[in-house]
Amino acid sequence: MSTPRPGDKMLTDWREAALRFEAEVAKAVVGQERVIRLVTLAVFGRGHVMLEGDVGVGKTTLLRAVARALGGAYERVEGTVDMMPTDLIYHTYLAEDGRPRVEPGPVLRESEDLSVFFFNEINRARPQVHALLLRLMAERSVQAFNREYRFPNLQVFADRNRVEREETFELPAAARDRFLMEIGMEAPREPEARRALVFDPRFHDTDRLIEEVAPGVLDHARIGSIAGAIQHAISAAPEIEAYVVALWEALLRPAAAGIRLPGIDMEALVQGGASPRGVAFLVRAARVRAWLEGREWLVPEDVRAVFPEVMAHRVFLEPVHEMRRAQIVPELCRAVFETVPTP
Amino acid sequence: MRGRRLIAALLLALLAPGLAWAQVRFVEVRAPRAFGYFLGDLVETQVDILADPGFRVQRASLPSPGPVTYWLDLREVAVEEANVGGAARTRLRLTYQNFYAALDARSLEVPGFTVTLASDTRGGVTTTKAQVPGWSLGVSPLREVQPAKRDDPADYLRPDGRVARLDPTPALATALAFLSLALVALLLLARDRAWWLFAKRPARPFSAALRGLKAVRGRGDDEGYRQTLLALHRGLDGTDGRRVLADDLPGFLDRHPAFRAQGEALARFFSASRRAFFGRQTAAARESWPFAEAEATLRRLAAAERTA
Repeated sequence: MSTPRPGDKMLTDWREAALRFEAEVAKAVVGQERVIRLVTLAVFGRGHVMLEGDVGVGKTTLLRAVARALGGAYERVEGTVDMMPTDLIYHTYLAEDGRPRVEPGPVLRESEDLSVFFFNEINRARPQVHALLLRLMAERSVQAFNREYRFPNLQVFADRNRVEREETFELPAAARDRFLMEIGMEAPREPEARRALVFDPRFHDTDRLIEEVAPGVLDHARIGSIAGAIQHAISAAPEIEAYVVALWEALLRPAAAGIRLPGIDMEALVQGGASPRGVAFLVRAARVRAWLEGREWLVPEDVRAVFPEVMAHRVFLEPVHEMRRAQIVPELCRAVFETVPTP
Repeated sequence: MRGRRLIAALLLALLAPGLAWAQVRFVEVRAPRAFGYFLGDLVETQVDILADPGFRVQRASLPSPGPVTYWLDLREVAVEEANVGGAARTRLRLTYQNFYAALDARSLEVPGFTVTLASDTRGGVTTTKAQVPGWSLGVSPLREVQPAKRDDPADYLRPDGRVARLDPTPALATALAFLSLALVALLLLARDRAWWLFAKRPARPFSAALRGLKAVRGRGDDEGYRQTLLALHRGLDGTDGRRVLADDLPGFLDRHPAFRAQGEALARFFSASRRAFFGRQTAAARESWPFAEAEATLRRLAAAERTA
C-alpha cells in the first residue's frame, strides 16, 4: 500500500501496546469503551483530560486504572473550598521532635517523575488553585523553593460532577482551553454491564478492582516522543485541511454555514471561542485516532470521533443560551457534521 | 366679326354661372338634430357636395376655423373626398360650438357659405362654386327637462339602439385553448420544480449525480475521477439528508434498505474515495475502483432509487 518507513515498526508496536492498555483499563471499567478510547487518545496526544459526569459512574475508578496502567508516579488531590495553591506545593507540620517541618506537597513530591496528576472535584477548588493548575498544564512547570520544577511527562486528569452548583467555582475559560478533552461519562446503558456493576462483588471493592489492572503497560517516559512521532507520521491531505477549517468556520458562524436549530436564533447563538489552539488540539487527537485505527492519513471520521470532546467545551454561547448548553452544543456539533461537505 | 365675338363672350358670361351650377349636382347639410342644443354643445355637421367627376374642393375656399357669428364658433373642418356612383362627392365635417346662452327655446340661423370646386382638365382649370345653404339650429336654455307626465318612470328612458349580436364562440374556444395550454405549462413547471402535487415525489440525488457524471465522462484524468467520486458522495449526502462518511455506511444501509444490494459496491467506493482524497493515492484508487465501475454503480443506485 505504501513504502515502509523506519518509524513504522515502532509505531506499530506502540499501537499494539496502546490496544493492550485499553484492554487492561477495560478490566476495571466496564461498558465505557468510548471513554477509554478517548482517554487513550488523550494519553497519546499528550493532552490533559477533564472527566465530567454524575456521581458514582466510575470517573475516579477509570482514572485510577489509567494511572496504574500508564505507570509512572501518580498523585492525587481532592478539591475543596479552602484549598490554597500552597497546599499543592508544600506541606507543613510539626515533627515528632517538636520542630516545624516543610515538606514538598503532592505536586513536588515525585518531582520529575510525576506522570499522572489527578485532581478530583476540580470545581470545588478556588480560582487561585485553578491558576496554579493552569501553569502546571500549560507549561508543565512550577516555581517553588526558589527553583523551577519541570514535569516533562505530566498529564493532568481532572474530574468534576455536574450535579452540584453550590460552593463550586466554574473553571476559567483559559483553564478549560488547556484541557485537550472534556469527556462526558455516563453509566453504561447495556443491561449486562449494568447487572454486573450492581451484582458482581468484583466491582464493589475498588482497590482490589484496580489491582487487577496490570501496572505499567506503557512506558510512560517514552510516550512523549511517541506522541511526537505519531503527529509527524500521520499526514493530512489538503482536502482534510479544508474540511477542518470549514468545520471550524461552521462552528463559529453556524448561521452563515446554513445550520438551523429549532427555536434558536442562529445569528445570536455562538459568542466566540473555538480557539486556534482548540482546533490544533482537534487535529492532534484526530491524528492519534488515525494511528490507533492503523491508518497513515487522516479521514473525516477521525475528526468527527473526537470533535465533541475536544471542541464542545471551547464554544462559548450567548448568555441566554448558556444554561441550555448541555442540549445545544451537542446538537450544534451534530449539525455541523451534517452540513459541512466532505471531501 | 368683332360684334359676333362680343355677343359670344356676353353669352358665355351670362351662361357661365348656369353652367357652373350645373356642374354641382347636389348639396346637402346634415346635423344630428335640429333642436335641443345647449350652451357649449358641439354641433357635428356634415355637408355633402356631389359634383361632376374630377371636381375637388379648393382647400382655401373652405371656411376657416374661428368665430362664425358672435354666438357660434367653427372648431374644426375636415374634408373627405370620394367617388360615388359616377360623381365626385366631397364631404365636409364641420364641428361648430354653440355659445348662445338662450333664455328660451329658439331657432337660430347658421349662415351658409360658398366653397369653390376645381377640376383640373387638359384644357385648363375649371372652377365652380357650390353654395352651402344656411340652416337653423334650435337652441334651448339650460333648464330642467319638463317632459310630458308619464306614470311609469321607466317610460322616460329611451331604448338603446339596436346592436348586432356578436358570436362569442370562436373567442371562447381560443381562450379555452390558451387556458389549457397555460395549465399544461404550469403542470410541467410544477413537475420540474417539484411544487405542490409533485412536492411529495422524493428527490433523486443519484439520478442527478448520474446526470452530473456526463460532464466528466470523457475526461480520463485524476480530476475527472475525483469529480466522479464527489458526484457519488453528493448523491449519498442528498439521499440521507446529511453527510455520509465511510463509517456511516452500515447506518445508511439500515435507513435506506433499497440500496442494501449495493452495499458491497458502496464499501469499495468509500475505500477508493478515502484513498483518492485523503491518502493521496488517486492512481491506486482508480485501479481498485475504475470509472466504468463507478458509473455502473451509480446507474444501479439510480435505478434502485426510482423503485424505492
